Order: sequence, then C-alpha cells, then structure tokens
Amino acid sequence: MYKYVIRRLLLAVPVLLLSSLIVFGLMRVMPGDALTALMAESGNVGERELKKLRKDLGLDKPYYEQYLLWVWQMVSFNPGDSIFTNEPIPVSLKKAIPVTVELAALAMILGLVIAIPIGVLSATRQDTPSDYAGRVVAVSGLSLPDFWLGTLVITFAAIWFRWIPPIGYVSFWESPWRNLQQFLLPAAVLGFRLSAATMRMTRSTVLEVLREDYVRTAWAKGLGGRIVVYKHALKNALIPVVTIVGGQLGVLLAGTVVVETIFALPGMGRLTVEAILYRDYPVVQTNVMLVAATLVTLNLIVDLTYAWLDPRIRYS
Amino acid sequence: MATVTARVSDFEVEPTETISRTRALWHVIRRKPLGMASAVVLLLVVLTAIFADIMAPYDPLATQPEIRLSAPSRAHPFGTDDIGRDVFSRVIYGSRISLWVGLLAVGIGTAVGMWIGLLCGYCEGRLDLTLQRVMDAIQAIPGLVLALAIVSVLKPSTTNAMLAIAVVIIPGNSRIVRGAVLSAKQNRYVEAAQAIGCRHPRIIMRHILPNVTAPILIIGSIWFGNAILIEATLSFLGVGTQPPTPSWGLMLSSTGRAFMEQAPWLAIFPGLAISLAVLGFNLFGDTLRDAWDPRLRRQG
Repeated sequence: MYKYVIRRLLLAVPVLLLSSLIVFGLMRVMPGDALTALMAESGNVGERELKKLRKDLGLDKPYYEQYLLWVWQMVSFNPGDSIFTNEPIPVSLKKAIPVTVELAALAMILGLVIAIPIGVLSATRQDTPSDYAGRVVAVSGLSLPDFWLGTLVITFAAIWFRWIPPIGYVSFWESPWRNLQQFLLPAAVLGFRLSAATMRMTRSTVLEVLREDYVRTAWAKGLGGRIVVYKHALKNALIPVVTIVGGQLGVLLAGTVVVETIFALPGMGRLTVEAILYRDYPVVQTNVMLVAATLVTLNLIVDLTYAWLDPRIRYS
Repeated sequence: MATVTARVSDFEVEPTETISRTRALWHVIRRKPLGMASAVVLLLVVLTAIFADIMAPYDPLATQPEIRLSAPSRAHPFGTDDIGRDVFSRVIYGSRISLWVGLLAVGIGTAVGMWIGLLCGYCEGRLDLTLQRVMDAIQAIPGLVLALAIVSVLKPSTTNAMLAIAVVIIPGNSRIVRGAVLSAKQNRYVEAAQAIGCRHPRIIMRHILPNVTAPILIIGSIWFGNAILIEATLSFLGVGTQPPTPSWGLMLSSTGRAFMEQAPWLAIFPGLAISLAVLGFNLFGDTLRDAWDPRLRRQG
C-alpha cells in the first residue's frame, strides 16, 4: 500500500510538471507578451514604465529562466504579485480558498444527499413512475447549465419570496447564519449538477447488487426490505460510486468558477475568471496550477479510499 | 420461475453480428422511447439551424426600441429584449452557433484525439508513454478552466472558444481510441496482416480503424452536448461569442441576467434551448451506445 502511494506520488510529479509547462507555454503564446497585450489594451503607458515593469516581473529573461523561476516560486509558495491589483497572490488565495472549499464541500454533501436516496429508490422501484421521475431528474442535472439554473434560482427567489442572498461575503465563523444564507443556493445549484452522474451510477450498481446471491440469501433469511437494501446492498453498491464522485471533482472545481461568478462569491473561481478577463497572467497561471495540483491529489485520495472501502482491492 | 425457450435456429446464426450499424441504431431508436425522443430533438435542432433564415420571423439583429422588453405575445412568442430584438428569432439563430461550435470542436478534438490514440495504441512503447503523460497533464486541468485559459490567451471569439473546446476533448478521446486499438491489435487478422508483410499505414487504416469508429462516434455524440454547454458557459462568462451575435449563453449573460426580474423570459428561453439541445445529444449518445456497444447489443 505504502509503495503504491509513493509510486502514485512520484507519477504525479511529471504530470504536474507537464501541466505547468502547458500553463506556462499558454501564457506566452500570445503575440508579444502578456504585458504588451495588457498595456495595449489600457493604453497611455510610457515605454520606460513598460520596460521597468517587464524587468520587475522578470519578463526580460529567457523563457527557460522564467519558467524555472516560476516553478521555484510555486514550490516555495511565493508566486509573486498580481499585475492588476499589486496584491501578493498568496494573500488573495488565502481569502479565496476558504470560500471555494466551503462551497465545494457543501455542494458535494448536498449532491450526495440528493443522489444516493433517489438512486436507491430508482433501483428498488425499477420501471415504476418513481424510477422514471428519478431518471428524469438525473438527466436534467446533466443537461441544465449551472449558470442558467443559478440565474433562475436567483430570479425566482426574488420574484416569489422577495428574497435575495445577502451581498458581501461573511465567513462562517463571523456569522454562521448569514454565511449559510449566502452559500445554500449556490451549493444547491452545484450539488444538483453533481448529483446527476452519482444518481445514475447508484441506480445501476444497486440494481446489479440486488441480483447478487448474498442479497437473495438476506431476503431468504426473512430480513426486512430496508435492512437488505441499506445494510447489505448499498454498502457494496457504493464502492463504484466513489469512483464517480472522484471523477466529478473536475466538474465540481469547474462548477465553482461559474457559480461563484453568478452568486458573487469571492472564491478561487471568480478570482480566476477576473484574472483571465484582466489578463492578469501571474494570477491565472498560479490558480490553474493550484487547481491541477488539487485535482491530482484528490484523485489519489479517491483511489486510496476505494482500496479502503473494498478490502479485495490490493494495489501493488 | 421463468422459463427460457429458444429455437434451434437462434443458435445457428448470430444475427447481431451481421446487422449493419444503421439498422442496429434504428432498432434501438424504435424500441426505446427515450431513443426516439432524443432523435426527434436532435433532428429539430439540426433543422432549426439549417432553416433558421426561413423559420425566424424577424432579423435577429433588427432592433425596435419602441417594443423593448415586451412580454411573450403572438407576434413575439418569446418576447423582446432590452433593445427590442425578437428573442424567438435570436434563439433560432443561436442554434447555428451552438451546432457550428459543437460540430467543429468535436470534429477537430475527435480527429486529433483519434490520431494520437491510434499512434499510442499501435506503436506503444516510449511514444505511447510520453504522449499519454501529456494527455494526463492536460486532463489534470479541469476542462472549463483550461478552455477559459486558452480563450483568454487567444482573445475571446466563437472560433477561439471552439478551438479551446477541441483541446479539452482531445485527451479523453485519445484514451478511448488507444484502448480500442490495443484490444483490436489482439485480433488474429491483424497478426495475419503483419505476417504477410502489410505496411503499418495499411494495417491501421484497413484493419484497426474500422474497429474504433463505433467508440469514436459514441464518445463524439456525448461530447457534442458538452461542447454546446462549454461554449454557452464561455459566452456566458464573456469570453466566447461576442455581441451582437445571437449565442444562447451570451443571451443569458448580457440581457438575461440584467433584466431577470423585469423580463424573466430573456433568461428562460435561451436556457431552455441550451438544455434541450444538450439533453438531446446526451440521450442520443446513450442510444448510440445501446445500439453499438457489442456487450449491450448482445443483451438487447
């Protein structure tokens, strides 16, 4: 097991290095460089100031030197300052990360709370109206764009209940109630989207497991339906669901980009979108790299959880 | 207890092996209501895009400020926007952008992904290892974030959004094709072709490629829905199609959000159009899989 973890961690290094090369290369594909593009857009900046700024940002150095410097900055947790706000990037990240983590965690919890019971219900009542309803909910979750759902939720909450989520982010520790009011709707929108694939997977694995011999034995012993489904079937059916949840992490992180923008939550997603719109490339490359590193780590954790849940899986 | 009856003839021939792909698809579409529904939706979206000029009652760019933000009526079934453009006509023309982006993004992404997958699966070894690590590296970045970064570098436009989506599609496709090639290579006829001295390009084109077209088409149709969704999201975030071109995502972000309390129809109809198109492609992908996935086909 330890060997497997170490091997996976070692494999993650070249993948992340390649990702960093892609991100770094991307930011330098632009004709000229990022700064010239930025200055051309904002206009009235003197040649001398431009030269100074370029030197300060290290853009006058050869590419390989810039890349190595950036990698070093990333590894030493000091990715520099934003071009646009001049704020050190770690400071902005320190403010943004808790918002995204809270949103993602709440969305994940809500997603599972929606998906698993409906998935089980769909499977245990296969081909009945409740099964069809569950499947329609799942397919809608895959097809309804989260930005549309978010817009509709805000609109109808305002029209029908004359209520809009409180504006201006407040942390959970400052005012838990206000914070939850801000997070509940966006987390529900994101959770609904996440629940779709999990629901479909839960339905199909529960259907499969319900046909297993040991479940038939449980029925034959005279156990109650709830015990058979929840204690015997669900436990095994949930193992493949973990993989699907793992696969959803990318969707979750991408979803926060959209949902944070709609609900005006100052998280990583909104920070990245704003940086992209302002061509604040140090922030863009840092954020994208951070997201990639998080995704690689989370995927590893999911794989390990899989082994923990199913003792038959032995990694070598 | 259920009884199983079978005629002797059932075991003598394998009809599933001989029926063509089109017939297999038609068979599934006819039998499954969701398959039929997805085919109808798909046809509707495609016909709307092709005949937008005939179907749209107004010019999608023509403004009539005197009737701005008017509610849905007989003259304007989806209402009008903040400068008096007919939302129905704009939704109809919007299907062109979505389909165009979907078609080209999926086409480019699938073609490039297919060739990478073919090369990796056929050559294996160091080339495979290197290319697949590059694919891993691209996949480590969430699709939407990668597309956003690419578009920001290339400048926001429909074409660049399409290229960005194509890049997002490549790794997943290459992996699926690689898997299919690796399993196709195990076939005896490939070994035979190698033994009689066929050249590699001929083996790839004649003996391996036909085995991987089904997975490519299935994954392509599923990606089509996703491509429409990503284009709409990019346009919604302001880095995709630019105004005044009628794109569903852009319609939602520019006027839909600004006037959502005053004129909710501005947000409802473009969103419904996106959902319907994506739903159609997702379900059609499922239908194709049911029809062409050999494991499922035998069960059906």
